[in-house]
Amino acid sequence: MTRSAWAALAVLALVGAGATLLAGANPLAAFAALLRGALGGPQQIAETLVQTASLLFPALAVAFALRAGLFNIGADGQAVVGGLAAGLIGAAWPGAGALSAALAGGTLAGAVWGALAGALRARFGGSEVIATLMLNILAGLLATYLLSGPLRAPGADGPETATLPASAWLPLLAQDTRLSFALPLAVLLALALQFVLARTVYGFELRAAGKAPEVARRAGIDLGAVAFSALSFSGAIAGLGGATIVTGVLHRFNPALSPGYGFIGIAVALVGGLEPLRIIVAAFGFAILQSGSLTMQAFAHVPRDVIALLEGLAIVALAARRAFVARAPVPP
Amino acid sequence: MDAFALELRGIVKTYAGGVRALDGVDVTIARGEIHALCGENGAGKTTLAAIAAGRLRPTSGSVTRAGNAGFVPQHPHLVDRLRVWENVLLGREPRRGLRLDERAAREDVAALGATYGLPVDPRARVETLDAGAKQRVEILRELAREPALLILDEPTSALAPAESDVLFDVLRALAARGTAVLVVTHDLGDVAAYAERITVLRAGRVAARFERGAQPAAIAGAMIGGELPALAARTSRATAPCFEARGLEAGSGAAALRGFDLEVRGGEIVGIAGVEGNGQRPLADAIAGVAPYRGTLHLDGRELAPGRPAARIAAGLRTIAADRQREGLILDWSVLENLALGDQRRAPLGGGLTLHRGAMRDRSASVVERFDVRAPSLDARVSMLSGGNQQKLLAGRALAETPRLLLACEPTRGIDVAAAALLRSRLIEARNAGVAVLAISLELDELFEIADRIVVLFRGAGAGEFERGAFDRARIGAAMAGVRGR
Repeated sequence: MTRSAWAALAVLALVGAGATLLAGANPLAAFAALLRGALGGPQQIAETLVQTASLLFPALAVAFALRAGLFNIGADGQAVVGGLAAGLIGAAWPGAGALSAALAGGTLAGAVWGALAGALRARFGGSEVIATLMLNILAGLLATYLLSGPLRAPGADGPETATLPASAWLPLLAQDTRLSFALPLAVLLALALQFVLARTVYGFELRAAGKAPEVARRAGIDLGAVAFSALSFSGAIAGLGGATIVTGVLHRFNPALSPGYGFIGIAVALVGGLEPLRIIVAAFGFAILQSGSLTMQAFAHVPRDVIALLEGLAIVALAARRAFVARAPVPP
Repeated sequence: MDAFALELRGIVKTYAGGVRALDGVDVTIARGEIHALCGENGAGKTTLAAIAAGRLRPTSGSVTRAGNAGFVPQHPHLVDRLRVWENVLLGREPRRGLRLDERAAREDVAALGATYGLPVDPRARVETLDAGAKQRVEILRELAREPALLILDEPTSALAPAESDVLFDVLRALAARGTAVLVVTHDLGDVAAYAERITVLRAGRVAARFERGAQPAAIAGAMIGGELPALAARTSRATAPCFEARGLEAGSGAAALRGFDLEVRGGEIVGIAGVEGNGQRPLADAIAGVAPYRGTLHLDGRELAPGRPAARIAAGLRTIAADRQREGLILDWSVLENLALGDQRRAPLGGGLTLHRGAMRDRSASVVERFDVRAPSLDARVSMLSGGNQQKLLAGRALAETPRLLLACEPTRGIDVAAAALLRSRLIEARNAGVAVLAISLELDELFEIADRIVVLFRGAGAGEFERGAFDRARIGAAMAGVRGR
């Protein structure tokens, strides 16, 4: 790590300690509780890895779009439609292949949700930020409508699908935990994305469009096609993430399946420098914060909001580093 | 001896990356003196001007100024959406209580213009003004701060000759009031007209100093220094039809192209001459396919469809973009990746799913050698390279293979003399190899060196055509100014 990265970490640690003191607790005890909650035993570690997978998909989705210069803040919405499709397909699929069908359906639904924003951007130059944000709301409303109305499951209390048959569940990695094959799937996806970005012609064009659109356009790269495809792929990744939560964790669809993962995913993607392999590490770090924060609140009496504060500060620290690096003088 | 408005002693400036732009320069300017700073591109003029203005800190050396310095950059730095008075008084608006006293502000600006003989309409929006009016606004903005020294960077590059004469009158009036004026220029015609003293920079050092009345030839000799490598020889060859533009209309406003016809044959260099803003940019953008236009373009007999840069590249067009940092290169990327841009979908670099790193390395090594690009390594970021090396990289990419048509926009803008000579030689060699070369350049001398034919653009239309052997500075200059030949 560079010196500025260590400096950023030190600032975070100090602010975290200060906030904990303000909340009337001992920072060291709080930190110990956090670590115990996240890594204190096999169950805790498994839960942290579940969180890692849940954060990794939206983070990769955000990073992929951002490498094309597009800000997808709709990973939550894409996860919801992906999870919805996976839940509906998984519950209704007859016979073998239910899991594959649910995951494929979720991926496709997320892709369509991303493609809507991509089409608006490519065709009319509409801001993908606004479009993806609005589509988040539409995704929630669509799911609630479908599951309260036309597709209501018999005997359901709220907008939920029926419990999926076991044939549509992602297999567990470790018995008696919730840790499923979602994690290896996410890691494989990160490796694949790294390859696409670094080695393929498509990745080259996508990165050029993201770095310098005017240069890319003059080099014959179709910026509209890049925007459409990048947001479609981004949506597909987030949709697959939603599908893995439905098939791997909840075993049914519920509109609250992604409690802000899409937004934390933005932070994870930025902390990972938009590099898929580094994002794996960043997702694990954020997962420790997420899964340890409940223990910290319960045992050290530090509000979970301190964790949200730290996550927000991580972004600020990162932005500050960028600003300092950008100051380096260059010849005119 | 007069009091000095500016005294520069032993100025050294080294940029990040080790480029030494200035190497021990002394210049003094007296109050009321008009001083010209001359030199070829890359001699260090703009760096010295920025240091004199206090906009850039020298690596070593001392700067003494008698008061404020005003700076008028080569390209206008104005807020286009604001009005003239707002631009002139930005940051120093007259107030009445908490409110802006708009009427007083407008009157101040009009009075300021009248005082210095710089007529402006304070209420006009800057985006509606032509280049000369924008420059007047910029000069007024600086004069409103009552500078002891006014610095102008290439002030005539965007002006027609008649406008230049008006500018010189204004500068003389300013000097008569005691303001020192430093004009940075490479145009020797201007220098003879107004400067009392002339400092010539070459490769970051003072090459010579002159007083009023010096021979332009002597100044030119000092600028170039007689160390220029010879240009590549021009081999005569049969030419063949290659590129044709008919009835081209593009762009908007004063710089629009209004029905322009052009033919470039394979094996010839056609130079487009003209004062900046007479349609050069719309012409280049139409050919590159990045802006809408009316009319037709044909390359090797096939029509080029509008709005399709990729199709043009496939048809054999390569471009040296006018603005290398905004349009040509990705500064954050390596030399290697920049050299693949544009050819990423074609063999040998692309063609399939993945890029071929080996082919990319081979091409880069070859371009870096042929174009003498000084880069620490092929993986070095382009932002680490000097402007001259960036330009060589850009030209090297366009000529990595043999294109059908090379569109070279300001191919040697802002680079040192030796690099410029190398690029001009490469353009001539491309021509010798049968490439159709269209060179758009504001530097007439460059076109004299390389072009087989010069077409003058004036107000968006062809204003004269001159064959090599019949290049006549006076007649081409008259055509550029819109004076029709008898």
